[in-house]
Amino acid sequence: MKGVSSAPGDYIYFKSQVPLHKIPIGSKQWRYYDFGPKIVPPLICLPGTAGTADVFYKQIMALSSKGYRVISVDIPRVWNHHEWIQAFEKFLDAIDVHHVHLYGTSLGGFLAQLFAQHRPRRVRSLVLSNSFLETRNFAAAMPWAPVVSWTPSFLLKRFVLMGIPNGPHEPFIADSVDFVVSQVETLSKDDLASRLTLTADAASVGPVLLSDSFITIMDTNDYCATPQLLKDEVSERYPGARQAYLKTGGDFPFLSRPDEVNLHLQLHLRRASVEARPDLVRGTSKDADASEGGGGSSSEPNNDRREDGDDAPKDNRGITPPESPKPPPPPESPDSHHSDSHLGNSEGATSAQYPTTLSLHAFFKKEQYLIASYIFLPSTWGFCILSLLHLYMGTLYIDLEPCWKLRQVV
Amino acid sequence: MPSRRRTLLKVIILGDSGVGKTSLMNQYVNKKFSNQYKATIGADFLTKEMQFEDRLFTLQIWDTAGQERFQSLGVAFYRGADCCVLVHDVNVMKSFDNLNNWREEFLIQASPSDPENFPFVVIGNKIDVDGGNSRVVSEKKARAWCASKGNIPYFETSAKEGVNVEEAFQCIAKNALKSGEEEEIYLPDTIDVASSSQRRSTGCEC
Repeated sequence: MKGVSSAPGDYIYFKSQVPLHKIPIGSKQWRYYDFGPKIVPPLICLPGTAGTADVFYKQIMALSSKGYRVISVDIPRVWNHHEWIQAFEKFLDAIDVHHVHLYGTSLGGFLAQLFAQHRPRRVRSLVLSNSFLETRNFAAAMPWAPVVSWTPSFLLKRFVLMGIPNGPHEPFIADSVDFVVSQVETLSKDDLASRLTLTADAASVGPVLLSDSFITIMDTNDYCATPQLLKDEVSERYPGARQAYLKTGGDFPFLSRPDEVNLHLQLHLRRASVEARPDLVRGTSKDADASEGGGGSSSEPNNDRREDGDDAPKDNRGITPPESPKPPPPPESPDSHHSDSHLGNSEGATSAQYPTTLSLHAFFKKEQYLIASYIFLPSTWGFCILSLLHLYMGTLYIDLEPCWKLRQVV
Repeated sequence: MPSRRRTLLKVIILGDSGVGKTSLMNQYVNKKFSNQYKATIGADFLTKEMQFEDRLFTLQIWDTAGQERFQSLGVAFYRGADCCVLVHDVNVMKSFDNLNNWREEFLIQASPSDPENFPFVVIGNKIDVDGGNSRVVSEKKARAWCASKGNIPYFETSAKEGVNVEEAFQCIAKNALKSGEEEEIYLPDTIDVASSSQRRSTGCEC
């Protein structure tokens, strides 16, 4: 049952307003958004394994309208953490930014900490969300890491998207998963392989020179792919950090709880002495963008089904014009018709949305092991995956016997 | 995969500007008091780990701006609140009169699922000023108002001297806990029996 999927209304609006940049730096291709007054020290958003620069679109819209500069990047194709640090540094040099504030979720948070550890002079503050300090657990759970670059992309996507909690989910969280799933579909095999390799590459965060008072930890309290144990390690490592817990939100609170996340980001930036410049925000003719209370929640009736950007980008820097939002390939979920109103409307779940969740639940009962999974798993390779691992092994062309034996030894 | 999940409770402090909301929070969390007045801009929060009846939980206390012009951060922090504290200054009648407005405002913004039974706590602060001589809001009057609004607990405190602050917050925490446990779980009509969906340690299936 494939419904006609469509991107959420506010996402379409975002694509029409904010230009996407794609630049090669050194040997790496960088894909990012950069919005807000250039004079303000930027907040750079680093996504998790399944994320892309687009998943932070609600943050970009809300915070830039308040006068902050927000940059959101795709993790480039780097294969170990040294490459990451060098590539990110070159990126910052290329866009002429020296001091940054980093907001990272899951793998992104890990990479942010690594960069803060190795380039302390450039990182002013950190916001870590559902993150971890070391990759040892993930490396142990992914013994086939050496052959990951030979693994076909559909399998990589399966791993990245493997769902764990099959249970019913609150609509906003369900929509956030749908959106991320659609983003994963846009990733190439090498992108996926490089992110999985980064997760499995043995590394751990050493002492970070940043004072705890410039660190905010924003974990969700309901469920998420990063094990609680690892999240607790982060809290213990930075005992003086601000604990901005979110009661609920799942793996992608920046999509499912944008108002709260935006609020915490603003409070964090204020504490880190970033002065917003709302006076420099270009008043756009489409004043229906999110300007109050974060997250685009107040103007959704206007944004639903807005035409995509034939409008020329206001920011004419001669880089890529805004991409027409390619409708993400159908994520095989029948409720995509609702996703407009969910992601765009911050009203709580109403009874009308319950049948949607019910039908989805039934849907997944039927197709448990397939790619139409519900919850994305950014960085945890739990027991459930391991138990299913052998089922997929048979479909690989490459003989992975040696790897299994290695795993048993380990 | 069982995960020990802490209980998180959210408390919002509301009231006119200058009644002592920030000082109350500071006194409770940091045991500190400063005479210098600095208007809170928008909102801010502090977290405190608490123990209550053998359970550990985290209290996230939101301190808000009393002055209209500083309410620039929107109302996102109201959402998910488990308890609301209404503070007034016993030496300023206007601050007491406005309690009703703050209560209404909160119910509108936070939209709790059960507004009739949402836990409020009222605090009359600054009982230390002038030895109690410049007091204009009598305890009797305040208690009467609280009783009329569904038996809201009432505390008289001095954030400066640290009088009764701990007790007030204990009560706030207790009420928040009761309300928080009832509100927590999202349960539509299906029950998943298949997989390890037991991620929520729920207390409400009694």
